[in-house]
Amino acid sequence: MTGTFVEVAAVPRPRAVVTAQRPALARRAVRALPPYLFLLPAVGALVVWTYRPLGAALNLSFFSWNLLPTTPKEYVGLDNYRRLIDLPELRNALWLTVAMTGALLLFTVVLPTVVALWTSALGGRGRAVYGALIFAPVLVPPVAGAALWQWMLDPRSGAVDRVLGHPINWIHEVRPAQIAIVVITGWHLLGFAVLVVAAGLSGIDDEYRAAALLDRASRWQITRWIVLPLLSPTLVFLALMTILMSGQLTFPLIDTLTQGGPDSQTTNVYYLLWEYGFQNFDTGFASAAGLLFFAAFGLVALALIRLSDRLTFHDS
Amino acid sequence: MTTARASNPGAAGETGWRDRVRGAVGHGLLAALSLFCVFPIYWMYATSLRRPDEVYSVSLFPWPLSVGNYTHVADVLPIGRLILNTFVVALVIAVGQLLVGLLAAYAFTAWRFRGQTLLYLAFVGTWLVPFQVTMLPNYTLLYRAGLLNTLPGVIVPNLVSALGVLLLRQHMASFPRDLIDAARIDGRSAWSILWTVIVPNLRAPLAALAIVLFINAWNDYFWPALVLQRADSVVQLGLRGLFVGVEGPDWGGLMAGSGLACLPIFAIYLLLQRHVVNAFVRSGLK
Repeated sequence: MTGTFVEVAAVPRPRAVVTAQRPALARRAVRALPPYLFLLPAVGALVVWTYRPLGAALNLSFFSWNLLPTTPKEYVGLDNYRRLIDLPELRNALWLTVAMTGALLLFTVVLPTVVALWTSALGGRGRAVYGALIFAPVLVPPVAGAALWQWMLDPRSGAVDRVLGHPINWIHEVRPAQIAIVVITGWHLLGFAVLVVAAGLSGIDDEYRAAALLDRASRWQITRWIVLPLLSPTLVFLALMTILMSGQLTFPLIDTLTQGGPDSQTTNVYYLLWEYGFQNFDTGFASAAGLLFFAAFGLVALALIRLSDRLTFHDS
Repeated sequence: MTTARASNPGAAGETGWRDRVRGAVGHGLLAALSLFCVFPIYWMYATSLRRPDEVYSVSLFPWPLSVGNYTHVADVLPIGRLILNTFVVALVIAVGQLLVGLLAAYAFTAWRFRGQTLLYLAFVGTWLVPFQVTMLPNYTLLYRAGLLNTLPGVIVPNLVSALGVLLLRQHMASFPRDLIDAARIDGRSAWSILWTVIVPNLRAPLAALAIVLFINAWNDYFWPALVLQRADSVVQLGLRGLFVGVEGPDWGGLMAGSGLACLPIFAIYLLLQRHVVNAFVRSGLK
């Protein structure tokens, strides 16, 4: 009896509180809702097309499966990862990725800096003309670029070998093929990198340069001790982009020109992944490799961002 | 420098001479680099305009001019439809990415909300997810949705661009806050503030971003290659078909096809040169 009494007596009070609170809560929820609604299409697409597949790949990496709907997936635990670490092809591909990235930095950081410094000393028209010409390859679609370079490098009738005077089989010899992949990728990227450096240069306050001139600094001293340090955030950004993207950027060329050959000497980690996933249909293995690369590139990116925060000078 | 020049007139002539040499060397190297960049493109068009039986000629200028290679490509490939298909796909992707990115960037600028940093990082993080990891699960999803071998199958997975969201957020962040607040006090809804206050003021960056997104979509190769698997769908895949011939590639036809695939982008570049350049610069400076 007392229980019911207490209950009856107790019920109205919370209910009153609830009715007072519910509109407030609801109102607060409604007020908090708009940003999420605006984000819904973008985040929805990210979840469906990027993060769901990432999770699916994580799941697949513990199975052995050949992509056929009729064959069952077989749970293999960490076997795919173990096989991956023991794979000699992976070491080869990793080394080649690092080497090609290093060579590409020449086209995305060193050369653009030199070109941008030179052109910034020129008048407006010269700068515009050189800029426009160097930028043109950025617009060429990868497949068209691969086609026109294959024609340029053709050993029998290509323009390059005719100019050089003796035939080099650019696509079927190891060193020439590696050079070709790097130079063609560099050709695609150079114009973009020059633009980025030029934009970074134009952001540097002219007063620093004027002050240094008053102090009788030479042109080289100004470049070395004033311009380059102030430009360092731009250069670090370009280096970061190159390191993170070079595997992706050389990928279409490798696929259309060399297919990783000769003797797997122009492959890279992404091309290896592609071969395992879509040519050998070793799905679990390819997923494990992909996740490993994802983790590794994430760590590299974090380390580089840390490093750039410590190294770069800020104009303030 | 100035004092030295004043005390010794001979030095002025010397530095002037040295500057001129330096300038000449600089011009020479820049010209060589420009040649390296442009010559392959020129050679592509030069080859494509030779008579089909003179494709292997090395004369610098194609003469007599001929459209034989182009008519040949038009016989082998439905090139008009390929370009139209590619154009539609690239346009829909660019507009979609722009709209979706606009809404998301607006959410990030106009409100402070729970999970904001995490959601922002989710966009940045897409840079790290390699295409080769997501392609298998996405491929099977398209298969189940019945979108394989269709143009929507190319478009739908590309409707969000992290680059677009991050760039637009940056532009909106530098937008004067007072204007938004004033519109809010006027009692306008968030939706109408976006379209009547922000969008009209962001016209230039929006146009620039649209150009970059269009060019990126036009040049995309691997996703269409995976989804469509037919040569008669988009330009990039049609070109691939020309590589394979009985006696090696048909270079004349291949150069004509490649030239046609580049043409719309070059046309946009020539018409809107400054905007295109600005657009690429902006996209590089996150």
